[in-house]
Amino acid sequence: MRVSLIRIFWIILVSILISFVYNHFNPNGLNLIREERVLIWEDSSALDNSEKDSLLIEKNFSSNTGELTHNEMNQSFDQPKAIKIDFAYKLFKQNVKFIDARSVEEFAEGHIKGAVSIPFYGSEEYQSVLNQISKDEYLVTYCDGDDCDLSILLGDELFQKGYKRVYVFYGGWQDWLKNNYPVEK
Amino acid sequence: MKLLSNKYLLFLIRIILGFIFIYAGAEKISNPESFALSISNYKLIPAAALNICAITLPWIELVAGLLLLLGILVKENSSIILFFLSLFTIAIIISLFRGLNIECGCFGKGNQIGLLKLGENSLMIIGSLLLVFFGSDFFKLTDKN
Repeated sequence: MRVSLIRIFWIILVSILISFVYNHFNPNGLNLIREERVLIWEDSSALDNSEKDSLLIEKNFSSNTGELTHNEMNQSFDQPKAIKIDFAYKLFKQNVKFIDARSVEEFAEGHIKGAVSIPFYGSEEYQSVLNQISKDEYLVTYCDGDDCDLSILLGDELFQKGYKRVYVFYGGWQDWLKNNYPVEK
Repeated sequence: MKLLSNKYLLFLIRIILGFIFIYAGAEKISNPESFALSISNYKLIPAAALNICAITLPWIELVAGLLLLLGILVKENSSIILFFLSLFTIAIIISLFRGLNIECGCFGKGNQIGLLKLGENSLMIIGSLLLVFFGSDFFKLTDKN
């Protein structure tokens, strides 16, 4: 007897129907469409209020050494926070570590000065890079520009791994280039 | 050929595959969120489609496994199982090439993808291929086939 495609279709259809019914009544059920990641903006960055920016920076870092103040050591985020170019540059000046989520090739063509390459779609070899980064450290992830989501995905991944002070630099490499901020190859 | 179409061998394969898929399906049904995360680790499916896969896939596995075990529509159900096994295996191969070191998401936690997993899947693929070709009429629930 040959395999009946119609029967296969019916088996799968019935299974799918059962799955939706079960999911509907299951208290641990999932939403049909996974919710898009909603970015939480770093307040000052969203408001584009430079005065507030500098206040926050001063609060976060002792201005001279660029190191974390004692109070700040205990503060971590609920989730990665999105920031824009101004705030990103301020963090850059404070020697905060930037992480490039783009591919290795793009990283090689040029990246933010001092940035570390951790391609989101890359191998797990970067684990060794991560091992050298303290979980208390502030990190900024970025990718190509506004449209890319690698920085967000990587930010979430790092956050899951226990890095609780992750900023996602919205605007990324393109904004950085536009502003002629320091880059290197 | 005769050995491969031996009804006891086919029956054994049917029972084993049936149980494996029932277990795999049930385990994922019990924790859909963790299965959704496992799929997302493969980075192959768009985020919006993750939940649909995580909801439906385990039930297809469970139903196909159950019907296979009971000997109902053996060829059809082993075709389904063959199809999904191939899909999973391709996903694992792609991930291995990408150098991802992730959980398989096959049978709950603690299963890393790797050559061992590929070996397991290859064996199951061979098993399901045999069932698709020869069927298994031995000790089945219905006479319809």
